[in-house]
Amino acid sequence: MEFKTFVFYFISAVLVFASLRVVTLKNPVHAALHLILAFFSASGVWILLQAEFLAIALVLVYVGAVMVLFLFVVMLLDINVDRLREGFWKYLPLASIVSLLMVAEMALVLGGTYSGLLESDIPQQDSQYSNSKALGRLLFTEYVYPFELASVILLVGVVAAVALTLRGKTKSKSVSPSEQVFVKAKDRVRVLKIPAEARE
Amino acid sequence: MLETYFPVLVFVLIGLVFGIAPVITGMVVAPHRPNPEKLSPYECGFEAFEDARMKFDVRYYLISILFILFDLEVAFLVPWATIFKEIVATESIKFFGFVEMIVFIAILVVGYAYAWAKGGLDWE
Repeated sequence: MEFKTFVFYFISAVLVFASLRVVTLKNPVHAALHLILAFFSASGVWILLQAEFLAIALVLVYVGAVMVLFLFVVMLLDINVDRLREGFWKYLPLASIVSLLMVAEMALVLGGTYSGLLESDIPQQDSQYSNSKALGRLLFTEYVYPFELASVILLVGVVAAVALTLRGKTKSKSVSPSEQVFVKAKDRVRVLKIPAEARE
Repeated sequence: MLETYFPVLVFVLIGLVFGIAPVITGMVVAPHRPNPEKLSPYECGFEAFEDARMKFDVRYYLISILFILFDLEVAFLVPWATIFKEIVATESIKFFGFVEMIVFIAILVVGYAYAWAKGGLDWE
């Protein structure tokens, strides 16, 4: 067996194992950590497919940022595991319909003759070929409009996140050190002149 | 192309060994003599009085989602940086190739300024 094939099967086995653990583990934090392992393995498969830029972006953006968000959401929601598992049989019919539909869609795309995915081979490039350069050439000449649109979508995301989660100033009693150091004595202490009174 | 990634694979394998070997060594070599006192939960000298899985403040979520949105810029900046010399060398898109990225960043700076002005970056 060729070395590349061996690496592919090893990474794929890790990927399948990690993905299964994501949906079967009881503890949502452990499931999120297995999702990180799944992302790493998927990026390994992409490296094998010579999509180096995508692989590194997956590690950088998904593992670095999206997983932080997932873990925060898991911690924000205070998930009760026992209550989550109660509705398993109730949701089974709907969930099976949705998952069967997804499997059917994937089978149509991957197995269908019109997509030509099975016939097409991985383009073999020499070691000087750079994936991100090819991507950049297309992105900054032909697809400039979608590229600028992406920044507008990110802007909408920033505004939405701030508008949804920012609840204004909460009334905490914490002190601001920067204001504290500028306090003068006359801001706080008032000296009153009180006339002396004779004892009766 | 793949042979250039062989060092990365070696690095991953070494990392795996360094992560797993100490744990297994510890399990094999270390003595196991548990007693109820050793196994009881311990928190700074007190009995643990709260579940560790407490709710986080929603403000952490805001920080992390802002981090994602600005982290995503990398996916556009890196391809641009790799072909920047080509863009400058080509006469027809010399100016355009520079300005389009400035426009991209300017739109995101609007979002940054909004989050800043609204106090989304303050932690009281």
